[in-house]
Amino acid sequence: MKIKVQILGDTLNIEGVKELSAANANSFRDQVRGALAERSKNIDVDLSQTLFLDSCGLGALISLHKTACTRNGTVRLLNPTPPVEQILELTRLHRVFEIVKK
Amino acid sequence: MSESPGKSSRGVALRLSLACDLTEVRPAILAVRGFLTEQGLAEKDLTKCELALAEACNNAINHAADGTKSKAIEIEVICNAAKVELRVNDHTPGFDWPQRVQLPDSESERGRGLYLIQSLMDSSVYFRGAGENSLWMCKNRPSQTGSVTLPPANLEELNRRLAESEQIINDMAEELSSCYESLSAIFRFSAEQGKSISLENFSRHLLSDLLRITAADWFVLRLVPKEQSRLVVFTASEAGLVLEPLEVPLTADLARPVEVRSALNRQDIWFDQQKALEADDPLQRAKPDSLGLVHPFYFGDTLIGALTVGKTISRVPFSAAQTNVVHTFADFLAIQIVNARFQEERVNNLLVSRDLQIAKNIQRSLLMKTVPQLPGFGLAGYCESARQVGGDFYDAVKLSDHALLLIIADVMGKGIPAAMFAAILRSLLRALPELTNQPSELLSRVNRLLFDELSEVDMFITAQLVYVDIGKRRLITASAGHCPLLLAVRGEAEVKMLSPEGMPLGILPDTPFTDETAELPRNCRVLLYTDGLTEARNARGELFGLERLLEWLKETTTRPRKAEELKDELAAELAKFQVNTSLKDDQTFLIMAE
Repeated sequence: MKIKVQILGDTLNIEGVKELSAANANSFRDQVRGALAERSKNIDVDLSQTLFLDSCGLGALISLHKTACTRNGTVRLLNPTPPVEQILELTRLHRVFEIVKK
Repeated sequence: MSESPGKSSRGVALRLSLACDLTEVRPAILAVRGFLTEQGLAEKDLTKCELALAEACNNAINHAADGTKSKAIEIEVICNAAKVELRVNDHTPGFDWPQRVQLPDSESERGRGLYLIQSLMDSSVYFRGAGENSLWMCKNRPSQTGSVTLPPANLEELNRRLAESEQIINDMAEELSSCYESLSAIFRFSAEQGKSISLENFSRHLLSDLLRITAADWFVLRLVPKEQSRLVVFTASEAGLVLEPLEVPLTADLARPVEVRSALNRQDIWFDQQKALEADDPLQRAKPDSLGLVHPFYFGDTLIGALTVGKTISRVPFSAAQTNVVHTFADFLAIQIVNARFQEERVNNLLVSRDLQIAKNIQRSLLMKTVPQLPGFGLAGYCESARQVGGDFYDAVKLSDHALLLIIADVMGKGIPAAMFAAILRSLLRALPELTNQPSELLSRVNRLLFDELSEVDMFITAQLVYVDIGKRRLITASAGHCPLLLAVRGEAEVKMLSPEGMPLGILPDTPFTDETAELPRNCRVLLYTDGLTEARNARGELFGLERLLEWLKETTTRPRKAEELKDELAAELAKFQVNTSLKDDQTFLIMAE
């Protein structure tokens, strides 16, 4: 899968996630982890393009959340599409992630 | 992947099969989605079917044993006006479908698939067979009035879009209204804060509003008081929630109350029936079986407090929008609290500097503007306060044409109390004229008079009294733990140091003082000083020291000098010595010269 990764200060910015499912969740997680710079703390995942997210995709996000926690940072989910936000609420993961809407 | 649409007796059907490979799932699901769109399924149901089916297929593939991976997975979709049935058949060993499907811990990376299927579908059944399993899922369609025949496609499409738009508008409206509520509450309270209401009232009002906006029933706001490591209830929605303070240990420990854990881990902690509070948690005892969340707030690395918001009546968990409101309110409150504390500190600093100014004024008033003189003898006094604080003073009381009482004292302490004691001591000494020619007796009396007050505040005073009689050319001195009196005479090799026995005032109620008498030869100099002089340090950290003082005093006897000139000279010596340093202690001396 192709994602856009950008390092902004201590935040790693991920964009262009179209789908996050069983088929690509592990590779997504590994790509993001691989892109973390030494001083990266926070991970911002832009979900405004994400049309599909399943439980494996959620697993990948939680795994990144733990990675960020060990670096004293957080994972923020930016502008999730309505179906994605619904799944986050349904699984109550909006309590774990900071959901930012702009 | 292969597909074969058809007409079933139960409705329109789609069958397709896919290889046992996760990358095959998404294209298959998109095909199903396309099929269901054609059948006029509403967007929100499409999304639900899409996700439930994906979870079912992922499960089937993930549970396939190595030997069964060659076998395809079959999907069957049957759609009619009343419902959508989805079936996934696999040829794997299968798995045990749990009796009750629960959401795993929020930190878990797995185990949400079945929960999603159950939540998204109206019913689901798992049939586990020998080498073949079948998961059947059903989603009811909203009942359509009138004919069972489907309306024309264009009208149907319009209806669908209308429903979709309505959903979006509803979501936006909810979001907007909570944003508006937060903002208006914050503006209202910002305005209110300008008026001088207490922080406590302010917090209570703000949080009561929060309860209303988020449909919650109770709140507890705990703050960490300055220089403490405890979470103390600052305000709560009801008196029963004003719970005991909680100690915040240095490290996290699992068995701690939820508010402490949340504060130490710097993260929100949610609780509900599934993830209940510990039985001995103070919140569980006060509000059993609540659901809610704890939100800690920090200023930089400093823990400010923790806010807990809970529901006892409603079982509906907080939505994302409500959670955002809780966070917004808590963060806003944290800023107000930090501001209020800074403000308080500033006022305190102002009070302290005012206190110091008053102390300085008292001390200044003790020092005489003109010092009495005796025929043939000059007298001059010097007092320089460190910072604005001062417990040093000197005094000279003219007793007759030929007699004086010289006083020098150093009150240990600072600020108003030290200045007050200096003032009291000065008055007492002046109020006992019958004892002025018996300095030791005078010290005993004032010690007894001041002892209780001094020992109560753990302060003491060192003092030296000198009765000077130029008629008899002698002096009588007594000391209460003070620096020695220095007497220098022209032509004498050594400067005389008079240091009669005596404890500082305020140490023991009954302690003896002794008088020491000395002759006053021609051209002598008498110096009384406080230890701020000998303990003065230069920029290199060296002490001014007694030796240097003795040297200077001895040297002055070689030249005729008035007391006033000697005072200026010693002050200049001190200034020269202490160039580029700041004064650490008061420096006071009284010098008499013939």
